[in-house]
Amino acid sequence: MFSLLERRAMPEIEIRNLSKSFNGKKVLDDVSLSVEKGDVFGVLGLSGAGKSTLVRCINGLEIPDGGEILYRGETLCSATQRIAKEKRGKIAMIFQQFNLLEQRSVLGNVELALEIAKVKGKENRRQKALECLARVGLEEKAKEYPANLSGGQKQRVAIARALALEPEVILSDEATSALDPETTQSILALLKDLNKELGITIIMISHQLGVIETICNKVAILDNAHLVEQGDLSDVFLNPKTDIARSLIYADHVHTALNEHHYIRLLFNGNSDEPLIANIVQQCSILISIVYADTKVIDGKVYGQTVIKRPKEEKDREKLRKYLELHHVEFEEVKSLGME
Amino acid sequence: MEWNEFFIAALETVGMTIIATALAYLVGLPLGVLLYATGKKGLKPKPILNFAIGTIVNILRSIPCLILIIVLIPLTRGVFGRATGAWFTMIIPLFFASFAYVGRVVETSLNEVDQGVVEAAKSMGASSMQIIVKVLLREARPSLILGLALSTISILGYTAFAYDFGAGGLIARAYSIYHNYPMNYLSRPEIWVILILIVVVVQIIQEVGLILSKKTDKRRIAK
Repeated sequence: MFSLLERRAMPEIEIRNLSKSFNGKKVLDDVSLSVEKGDVFGVLGLSGAGKSTLVRCINGLEIPDGGEILYRGETLCSATQRIAKEKRGKIAMIFQQFNLLEQRSVLGNVELALEIAKVKGKENRRQKALECLARVGLEEKAKEYPANLSGGQKQRVAIARALALEPEVILSDEATSALDPETTQSILALLKDLNKELGITIIMISHQLGVIETICNKVAILDNAHLVEQGDLSDVFLNPKTDIARSLIYADHVHTALNEHHYIRLLFNGNSDEPLIANIVQQCSILISIVYADTKVIDGKVYGQTVIKRPKEEKDREKLRKYLELHHVEFEEVKSLGME
Repeated sequence: MEWNEFFIAALETVGMTIIATALAYLVGLPLGVLLYATGKKGLKPKPILNFAIGTIVNILRSIPCLILIIVLIPLTRGVFGRATGAWFTMIIPLFFASFAYVGRVVETSLNEVDQGVVEAAKSMGASSMQIIVKVLLREARPSLILGLALSTISILGYTAFAYDFGAGGLIARAYSIYHNYPMNYLSRPEIWVILILIVVVVQIIQEVGLILSKKTDKRRIAK
């Protein structure tokens, strides 16, 4: 038997050296990552990077060419082993286009998951489905059909359907990409609730930086079939090491503004509540020109970056450098943010 | 011509059509599912099997109905003891002339089902049988009902060949009026009654199909 300690150390989902090709083109190349129980694990990448194939492998919609996927230390599936039926219910999936049956009522859609799993008793299935609908706040829509629901409501039904078999892991394949920003936030809040209250591990595939930022505690960045970075969200987002990660994380913010001049990016990690810029102006007597600023609350702490113009005078730059080093503020000089 | 002869002829037509359609669906529905399932985007793509079935279906569909009836005379005789002269002898040739067509109609309906819901069912661990019964046939229902109306009308059209084998029915009746009054058949009221009757029946089948399809379709937005 496992001790409590060993149990904690075992990843909920572990992907080892996963590879997959379509028509000779590698979509996933030697991808390894590990997701702990309770994580909200983001997988970020441009479209075509292999994100969807990755989740589709996890729940058996695709069979990998090589490598394996482990669930709590046991092989879930590999090139030679199909996903076992009894483990299917442990890993549920939600989709960008919701994928609800249009000819079944909201309740019927949730019941479908139970019917497929051969859960006994019609009334039993009904009760269970109603509970799941209540969990996502759609109990009163049980008799409606998907055609009469908004996008956000449809995704809630899909989440209720995913919950029906009491999953340990929910895979979200761009689940908010078809929704408006406000609805996206409410769906993300719901997923976060499920993560916190039911302890469900969530793997979020998205090309939307904001989505990953809002909800994930860990992130992996996929580029061109390769996993280029992975780690805690704050580490990866504050210190992206690879060019692709930089362009993904900073791209949409600073693309056009910054390709001629020299700038300095200041990185905040939430440890200081001092008004940094004002202090620099006052104490170093340098006039700071802010080009771009973006701070966010992640896991209760304030993170962010501020990009300022590099002072023209060499001695001002030196003063600024010393001040930042003295106050342990991370910074870097940037020419064009790797966006040439 | 006695009016009750019309009535009997109409019953014969309805009988042939309904029984042949039912049999055609008994075979055509599973055939359509098989064509879909083994197809490119199907549940279990099997290109060679799909090509083989598809070819047989296409060959059957390209044989003119009249030739099929003649070829099938020995079979009809084996089943009913006779191949001509009674309405039920038409059931076998009508069935053979239409089940392949029905298969294609069903396949087309299933192809219209959004792949996403099939994917969702697969992600829940559904077996192929569960996907067919609980997802595909269910989601395609409005389209399948329209297809049924279409197939019924086309089988009704085939019943015309009953004339050549003395198997009765309304359309054969129209022929025999021409046969009996070749010079002035258009001035016989019976032929117009038959014409109107057939048009009305086809309209009814079409409309009932449309209404049923709409009624079962949950994609409408409720007001």
